[in-house]
Amino acid sequence: MTCFLSGGAKNGKSTLAQNLAVALSGEGKRYYVATMIPVDEEDRERIRRHIADRAGLGFETLECGRDILACLNGADLNGTFLIDSATALLQNALFPAEKGYRMDPDAARKCGDDLIAFVGRVHNAVVVSDYLYSDAARYDVATETYRRCLADIDRSLARACDTVIEVSAGNNIVHKGVLPI
Amino acid sequence: MILVIGGAYQGKLDFAKEAFGVKSVFSCAGAEIDFSKECVDHIEEFTLACIRENVDPIAYFRERKELWKDSILICQDIFCGVVPLGSDMRAWRQTTGRLCQYLSGEAERVSRIFCGLEQRLK
Repeated sequence: MTCFLSGGAKNGKSTLAQNLAVALSGEGKRYYVATMIPVDEEDRERIRRHIADRAGLGFETLECGRDILACLNGADLNGTFLIDSATALLQNALFPAEKGYRMDPDAARKCGDDLIAFVGRVHNAVVVSDYLYSDAARYDVATETYRRCLADIDRSLARACDTVIEVSAGNNIVHKGVLPI
Repeated sequence: MILVIGGAYQGKLDFAKEAFGVKSVFSCAGAEIDFSKECVDHIEEFTLACIRENVDPIAYFRERKELWKDSILICQDIFCGVVPLGSDMRAWRQTTGRLCQYLSGEAERVSRIFCGLEQRLK
């Protein structure tokens, strides 16, 4: 089963995603696909917090900030994969640090295609994204491109996944399928 | 009238085309709307132009009710984020919210689009 989750920041998406992944996996393998490529101490602190949150839940961590399909090499495809988040994967692809953060739209497209291929190949997947589309702001071209690319990925994932959930203040709005917990 | 709301790039117009077979679309870019098209998209751009040209967008709609009573109206829900610093942008956000409330009251159906999926609000 594949689940796609989105919603506002700090609204409970990661917690729900972890609970879903644990429930879906049963006795099978659980993988946490760590997508953030840390660049400063704030990032490293955030990663420490996430690791502490996951402690004891039985996840094996796969570090994969880019080329998401690569982390399936050697992994058990019958397992359950938690990807948190599409947002970070797109950021890494669209604004590659090693290229001076210069925008790379082709990499963004590949990132979306790879995510769709990923959820099609594994038995269970939970993918988290961020909802950043409902504010009264005019952004610069780079930010607007980022928003549009992420929305394209979100919509493709929403089409591909069995279940689509919007998390709002810790509550779940089921837009498609059923919540399996 | 059917009102379709949702965030940027969520697939509101695609939904209108798929669900209602919309073919002719007027995409707002100023403080005037051509209601001869079956669908009016980007009403948030209309409200922004109204703010800048000192037009009351709710009065504008009220006075032309006959023209849009069978239309499909699409508006981005720009009113959910942080209060903007600029006064025009603040007025834009508030006026768009008020206009959507008015249109929602008049609509026979209100759909919110989330990642391409419809959530029926009315």
